[in-house]
Amino acid sequence: MNLILIAMILALLIPIYEAWQDENIWQKMLAFASIASKTSVMILVVSVLRGDWMIGVVGVIILSVGNAGLMLLAHVIKRMNEA
Amino acid sequence: MNDSYIYVIVALLPLAAVMLTVQVNPYNALVIRGILGGVAALVYAVLGAADVALTEALVGTMLTTTLYAVAVRSSLVMQIGVLKDELGETDDRSPFFQLIADLQTIGSKYHLRLELLPYPNPQSLHRALIEKEVHVTCIERSHEDEHDSAEIESGRQPYHTAVRIHRLYDILQTELASPATTLTYVTATDSGEKH
Amino acid sequence: MINILSYICIGVGIVFWFWGTFPLLGKRSLLFKLHSLSVADTLGSMSIIFGLLLKIPNQWSLLVLALISLAIWNTVLGYVLAYCSSSGGKHE
Repeated sequence: MNLILIAMILALLIPIYEAWQDENIWQKMLAFASIASKTSVMILVVSVLRGDWMIGVVGVIILSVGNAGLMLLAHVIKRMNEA
Repeated sequence: MNDSYIYVIVALLPLAAVMLTVQVNPYNALVIRGILGGVAALVYAVLGAADVALTEALVGTMLTTTLYAVAVRSSLVMQIGVLKDELGETDDRSPFFQLIADLQTIGSKYHLRLELLPYPNPQSLHRALIEKEVHVTCIERSHEDEHDSAEIESGRQPYHTAVRIHRLYDILQTELASPATTLTYVTATDSGEKH
Repeated sequence: MINILSYICIGVGIVFWFWGTFPLLGKRSLLFKLHSLSVADTLGSMSIIFGLLLKIPNQWSLLVLALISLAIWNTVLGYVLAYCSSSGGKHE
């Protein structure tokens, strides 16, 4: 299981690097969406690894609510580019 | 708790924080702030603080990002007062549109957004500038001093731009190379407050 | 047996993650990246969660909720991002 988590961290580093080097805001938003879903899946994996279901519940809540914030931000940025 | 992956995950947090601090564009920084919130929630959850992780995800990523977006959008704006009949012009080649395009390129360099507010006549435009409804006014010179308009049209600078914010005046003075306008700095009624 | 199957599921999910994330680095268009990201990332995440579900079946309600929210949200999010970026890019 440790190896799985290390591989997940490596996969998480790719969108972080992408968000750092790309200047276009929509590419950054894409990287942000990728990071948001990846981190919440990682939280779920860690909770299964430890057998701690408090963390698991938090992971599911972040997975389902964090994306709503992302959509809100996308719409605000869209309005920003229009004006 | 002494697993090796914890150190790697915790090391992601300062990485994201450094990334956030080197951003120049405020909107890009907002997106990076969301990424920092996601990474921070992951770190807190891995370290066993489930409640802190939940708060970080809900408040840090969702609420503050949205509030900051609204705040940045409403504060980084340059409000330009213009006459109503000049907005009605459709000719893209007119010096007024050239001037607005110049201002737009300067504004995008400083991440400023332009907002054109129409006013019916030069008097109300001037009052809006003094009463701090707008930051900048652009007005055709012939409306100001009651000279013969044909004589002014042949002159080199048909527009007059008045700025009431000193920092904005400094920026425009160094950057604005438009031959269409002159630039002056106007002190508003209460000069204590700047921007 | 079930254990090996769950490890296979998680491994396939991680391969999907890498597959979906590597196009992000290239100089391709936004919609191409969005497509690969939304398809491969969602499938990868669902595969990982399915592997976890096989591993610990007694907490199935939580993991099924995670699966459903992942499937719905990522699809909707893909549409929203594509809609916002395409109409925003037209004005630039």
